[in-house]
Amino acid sequence: MTDLDPNLAIEIRGLRKTFQDPERGTVEAVKGVDLSCRRGEIYGLLGPNGAGKTTTLRMLASILAPTSGSAYLDGVDVAANPLEVRRRMGFLSTSTGLYPRLTARETLRYFGKLHGMHGDTLEARIEELLVAFEMESIADGRTESFSTGQKQKVSIARAVLHDPKVLILDEPTTGLDILAASTMVDFIDSSRARGTCVLFSTHIMSEAERLCDRIGIIYQGRLLAEGTQAELCEQTGEKFLDGVFMSLVRAADKSAGTPG
Amino acid sequence: MNSPPPPSTWRATLWVAKKELLTGFRDRQMTLYAVVLPICLYPVMFWIMIQGALLFQGRREHTTVLVGVNSDPGVEVPAEVFEALSYAPGASELKESGGGLEFVEILPIEQSGDPATVAREERAKGEKHIDALLTLRGAEQSGVVIAYDSTDSRSELAAKRVRKRMGIYAEDTRELAAKRGGLDPRGLTPFTSEDRNLAPDKEMGAFVLSLLLPLLLVVMCVMGAFYPAVDLTAGERERGTSETTMILPIPRLAVHQGKILAVCASALLATSLNLLALALSASHLLKQLGQGVDLKIEVPFVAFASIAPLALLFTFFVSAILTGVAALAKSFKEGQALLGPVQMIFILPAMTSILPGLELTTKIAFVPVVNVVMAFRSMLRGEALPLEYTLTAVSLLLYAGLAILFAVRVLSRESLGVSNKTIPLTRLFSFLRSDNLSR
Repeated sequence: MTDLDPNLAIEIRGLRKTFQDPERGTVEAVKGVDLSCRRGEIYGLLGPNGAGKTTTLRMLASILAPTSGSAYLDGVDVAANPLEVRRRMGFLSTSTGLYPRLTARETLRYFGKLHGMHGDTLEARIEELLVAFEMESIADGRTESFSTGQKQKVSIARAVLHDPKVLILDEPTTGLDILAASTMVDFIDSSRARGTCVLFSTHIMSEAERLCDRIGIIYQGRLLAEGTQAELCEQTGEKFLDGVFMSLVRAADKSAGTPG
Repeated sequence: MNSPPPPSTWRATLWVAKKELLTGFRDRQMTLYAVVLPICLYPVMFWIMIQGALLFQGRREHTTVLVGVNSDPGVEVPAEVFEALSYAPGASELKESGGGLEFVEILPIEQSGDPATVAREERAKGEKHIDALLTLRGAEQSGVVIAYDSTDSRSELAAKRVRKRMGIYAEDTRELAAKRGGLDPRGLTPFTSEDRNLAPDKEMGAFVLSLLLPLLLVVMCVMGAFYPAVDLTAGERERGTSETTMILPIPRLAVHQGKILAVCASALLATSLNLLALALSASHLLKQLGQGVDLKIEVPFVAFASIAPLALLFTFFVSAILTGVAALAKSFKEGQALLGPVQMIFILPAMTSILPGLELTTKIAFVPVVNVVMAFRSMLRGEALPLEYTLTAVSLLLYAGLAILFAVRVLSRESLGVSNKTIPLTRLFSFLRSDNLSR
């Protein structure tokens, strides 16, 4: 029996993931990550492309099965009860596209029904979200005809439709224009007030600096450090987050014997 | 917000299937494959058949046919009738006759009686039997009767030649009689010629149906499943929505079952529309093909009721296999390329439905695809084979179950949701062994 801290919305211990690639052989994408997020906290997973951010978040969201280690979301073991994890979280990434031939309203209704919502409760919730994200005028248009920003709004509404306690966002602003990115940043910021735990990955330092209560630096499948921005600066002797990042990466390269 | 109770796996399956069908039929190509094509297939196919028949006509004329000749009791067949039937025309006459004057061998038949009965008995004799029978009627029923079987192309050809020659003979007789009596030939009525088709209309229809329908049902079923199978799997990967589907808050099994169900529903729709189109269009078009043959194309209710459960099982079998294979592809185009050879696994064996001599047996009942076309054929011909039909249903149920298991196993591989690579068919089994299951 594992002792779980009830204040933690996410707890990851020694999480590993290896893939069998026909060309590259065995690829170790995540090499034993430990990470925890408190309820109502915004946690930023900061790392370059290929660092293992997406794989870590996918394992937490039950999209990929961990090779070893454990992950708990809202007290639920991801490996043992992936379905319950999917019911309790909202997940959003650049890969979670919208069904292009459904309208915005149909998309929300589909997800709502699968979350067990129905009738007036569901319709009222859909209307609430359409108003909140200013989507009334596009509600009955097919998502394939939407702009990037409009799609992003529908995706956010889809992720929070069932009012999840945990939100997992994988590079949520990647590929968005300034306005759409701003909508997303505002949304993440507002989640804190709602008491939702947000774990999001990014490689944009300014986003992490602005939004995160705590930050984890991930590089080559390993979590190099985690803490508040102030703690990380103190730990590395750097003044800004990009300096913290580069300092930790250089140290990791040095210890691994690779040129930095 | 308190979490509402989640839907059951079966209910979730239906919602997934409904959504997949809704989005699928909003795509023009899927509507084309599942609705338009099945409806238009028969008119186009029969038009091609008519053209082919016309082309084939030339070759057919060089066949020698054997015509039996008899008469009612007390009536003697005049020598002129034999002459008219065996008349050897010149090349120019042959051309002008449109083939009606060629190659007729005559066999006098001593037996008399109802022309259809005599013809049936004579045609049942040995290897060399008559193709058609010409009977001269007695005084009460003047004229001639031509008995033939329109389901037999030789018999139909023989009847056509006899009809043509008797027409010329009747005209000559009338002119001669008028000349002798010093009358205007137009004032005399030539003797009448009556056709007796040995094949009842329905039997003829059933014969044509039993040849065509099993093959076409299989083709339609495959075509109806082909596009949605690719669209719901490889198409989803191409559209970047597979990860969205993977985070649906329902068991993965419901997602996979929903997809297979949607593909199956589309294939069933295509097959049903195809049957409907056949019923509406084939009779009219085949009449033109038969040139005077009154052919009734109808699917008897009993046959349809018997075929329906087998067709349903077969549709699940096809849909699951195609969905499982298409899921290996990363894009729509590659999905189509993967399914190209796979669909032939169904269509080639289905061609056995047009092979003579092959029948549904207890062994054939276990040969996938062949069993279903043979069962369809036998049912359309009204053959009562309860054991064979039951074995076919059991084996189809087994194959459909295995196919669904295969499709679910493929769809459950986690890399299909996140990878951007196509798994070649040659790597299918190693892929199934090595890739993680997505739960």
